[in-house]
Amino acid sequence: MKRDSRLSTLDSRHFFVPLIGAAILVAFTLVSLPWKENLFRRPRTIFDRSAASAVAPGYALVAAAVPLIPAGATVVVRTEPRDPIAETYYHRFADALLPGRRALPASFYGRFAPPEVFRDAAYVLIVGAKPAEPPGRLLLETPEGTVWETPPRR
Amino acid sequence: MTGLLWLASLLLVGLSGLPLLLHRAFAGYPLSTRLVLAGASGAALVSFAMTAAVLLGIPWNVPGLVAAGAVLAAGLRLFLKPALVFAADAPRPPEPGESPRVLAAAALSLIAVGAALGATFAGAATSPDLLFFWGPKAQQFALARTFDAAFMRDEFHQHMHAYYPPLVTNLGAFASMAAGRMSWTGATLTFPLLLVFLAAGLPGALADRLGRAHAAAIAALTIAVISCLGVEADIAGNGEMPLLLFETLAIALLISDAAAEPPTQLIAGILLAGAAATKVEGLPFTISAAALFFLARPRASRPFWPAAGRLILPAAVMLSAWFAFGASRRIFFGYSGYGTLFDLHLDHARVVLAAVGRSLSAAGHALPWLVPLGCVLAALPLTRRWILPVGTAAILTAFFLFTYIHRPEDPSLWISWSAARIFSPVAMLLALAASLGSRGEPRPASP
Repeated sequence: MKRDSRLSTLDSRHFFVPLIGAAILVAFTLVSLPWKENLFRRPRTIFDRSAASAVAPGYALVAAAVPLIPAGATVVVRTEPRDPIAETYYHRFADALLPGRRALPASFYGRFAPPEVFRDAAYVLIVGAKPAEPPGRLLLETPEGTVWETPPRR
Repeated sequence: MTGLLWLASLLLVGLSGLPLLLHRAFAGYPLSTRLVLAGASGAALVSFAMTAAVLLGIPWNVPGLVAAGAVLAAGLRLFLKPALVFAADAPRPPEPGESPRVLAAAALSLIAVGAALGATFAGAATSPDLLFFWGPKAQQFALARTFDAAFMRDEFHQHMHAYYPPLVTNLGAFASMAAGRMSWTGATLTFPLLLVFLAAGLPGALADRLGRAHAAAIAALTIAVISCLGVEADIAGNGEMPLLLFETLAIALLISDAAAEPPTQLIAGILLAGAAATKVEGLPFTISAAALFFLARPRASRPFWPAAGRLILPAAVMLSAWFAFGASRRIFFGYSGYGTLFDLHLDHARVVLAAVGRSLSAAGHALPWLVPLGCVLAALPLTRRWILPVGTAAILTAFFLFTYIHRPEDPSLWISWSAARIFSPVAMLLALAASLGSRGEPRPASP
């Protein structure tokens, strides 16, 4: 009987210790959710409230450009002002969100690419302010940036 | 709508695992555990079928892949003796007061899954790696109905790590073919989806040794650890959640009493193969878990060679097929490192340790590691089985530090965005190790 009661105490401990551990972690996770950013409002992009929220504008612009850029076209994503880190990320977004098109890098691995790598792009997406010198015909303007069709090169 | 279809189509791979898990050898597991084990095994088998189809020059199609996975599962079933009676066949009668405890633990698991779901829906847990390489490769392979060698070789696609093992991109391509296109939201939702599967399957995998209440509490702790880490380290859409699903289920099976049975070892081997085919670090996990099983469970692992075959052969076959593809197309010949092997930069040791400490602290004040560690300490003394999860955690930690210290440049930035994610299996292993208290029973060690 004495042993049974000891076992029962041990069983309780073996049950309650992990349960309390789980409760602590669940409580912490719930508190860390972005309640103040209106958790239940649908985000514009899948990055809006993540640690990578800085790239959300680029994601939104490239996603918005999908219907404007035909299959097989070449496209480059730049930032205004130029930022090689952000441009590296946005080149990867273009690869992901624009299947069937050829995304050329304005920057690669955090460094500006030589202009000849991307100057023949038929479409230019600019995340940020409208450029002082338009690269072509404006197709779309959103709060995140602009989409341009460049004149054909001879 | 496409997202739901994309996600739902992943359930099809579970069908492939059913021929194996319907064998009566697994009748001792609850239905939910059998279905989850079937799903995870099916995912690994379908992924292997996709790689094998590429090697054979057969274009992918969804029904054919499900059928191929099911044929593989049926073939593996032939290795199980028809008359085998599983040790856990006789269901354990419920103990007094057990049901409320089980319900309380299950409720915590569900809240943890709900938190993961909320964070993912809110765009608060998305991994950039989904857009950088997992998703684009899956999408392109779905369009090509095979591994697109030209895409993988492209000079502007070097960041997509062509050599990364194929399971995540294979299953993403599978779902994209079934749904008609890639769904980025659907891909992020694999985090809560696989977490709820784990919450449903894990208690039954642990219950034969622990009883239902204790198993449910350990499962709740494990689910809470993964949920917290996933939200803090942004793992939605990348390879971490599938990796954790395979690894958690494999270790849960290998520390259970049923691990002495060949069918359980076979399923554990398929799950370890799934881990090895998911991420690079799945391979050291698989090797150390299999090796430590023999050390932690000497009696359960006899006879040695058949048990070793069941645990290691599935991973060896799956990775061999992947490397055969890479070598035959001259794209890769193995895993790429970050420098010459054993050319360590020990002068970075202090920087590496400090950066890892900062990264883990930034992920929920390191609670996902500290809380299960506290539970392990509270469960002392442990049975000999502790060698398996704790030893694997130690070997993984050494592997990660070795990898970080390899890089000639200062690895601080790299560590800052990777350490919390890649150390997540260590936290999971500690949570499972917390189940190994010797319970004060005078039972002889049954390793």
